[in-house]
Amino acid sequence: MIRIEPTAWAAMVAHAREAYPRECCGAMLGSENANGRLVTVTRPMRNAFEGAQEDTYQLDPAEQLAVEKEARAQGLSVVGIFHSHPDCDAYFSKRDLQNSCPWYSFVVLSIQKGEFHHANSFLPNFDQTAAEQEQLEY
Amino acid sequence: MPKILIPTPLRQFVDKQDAVTVAGATVGELLQALTNQHADLRKHLYNDEGKLRSFVNVYLNDEDIRYLDKDATAVKDSDTISIVPSIAGGR
Repeated sequence: MIRIEPTAWAAMVAHAREAYPRECCGAMLGSENANGRLVTVTRPMRNAFEGAQEDTYQLDPAEQLAVEKEARAQGLSVVGIFHSHPDCDAYFSKRDLQNSCPWYSFVVLSIQKGEFHHANSFLPNFDQTAAEQEQLEY
Repeated sequence: MPKILIPTPLRQFVDKQDAVTVAGATVGELLQALTNQHADLRKHLYNDEGKLRSFVNVYLNDEDIRYLDKDATAVKDSDTISIVPSIAGGR
């Protein structure tokens, strides 16, 4: 289960709406325990994909490194990654799966006609061959 | 000794430490030493063929080792190694 606090959630949705009709991306910072993950801070990141961003996102590894350092400095952990699907449902696509990793929760936000519509969270496996949907609260 | 920073989801495999110091002359030796000490971590970093998983990027300080000497990149005691997953996607 992953729960996203209201301020962090609002920042995620704002980033996704601003990026529309392009895909946005970012990191979710917080904590985790046996009961699941709690997101307290959202860190919008740049979409580093050098091409049409309407249907593709890519994190910038150098920015990921910086976010990891920021999280450590704040006593937080990077617990997930989010991105948006403009005018498309919040499913975990084949490309999402193939370019994911099993360490994080992956939240997908559906942005329809510029407005937030719905969201889902996924947990990919080791080999990027399947992802389990996890309970998402926001 | 050089320090390896451990991403949060992997800390459960290294006795909940956020960083581990290990001995070695190259990045490859450090990662081998790390996964020898913490065997459960190995499957997270390496595939069944013993190669780093496709999503695993390794940084020496602020440099991606793919643009240095890869596994053979030399390390100093003052160096910090980071493990950063490669992430992308699209609908």
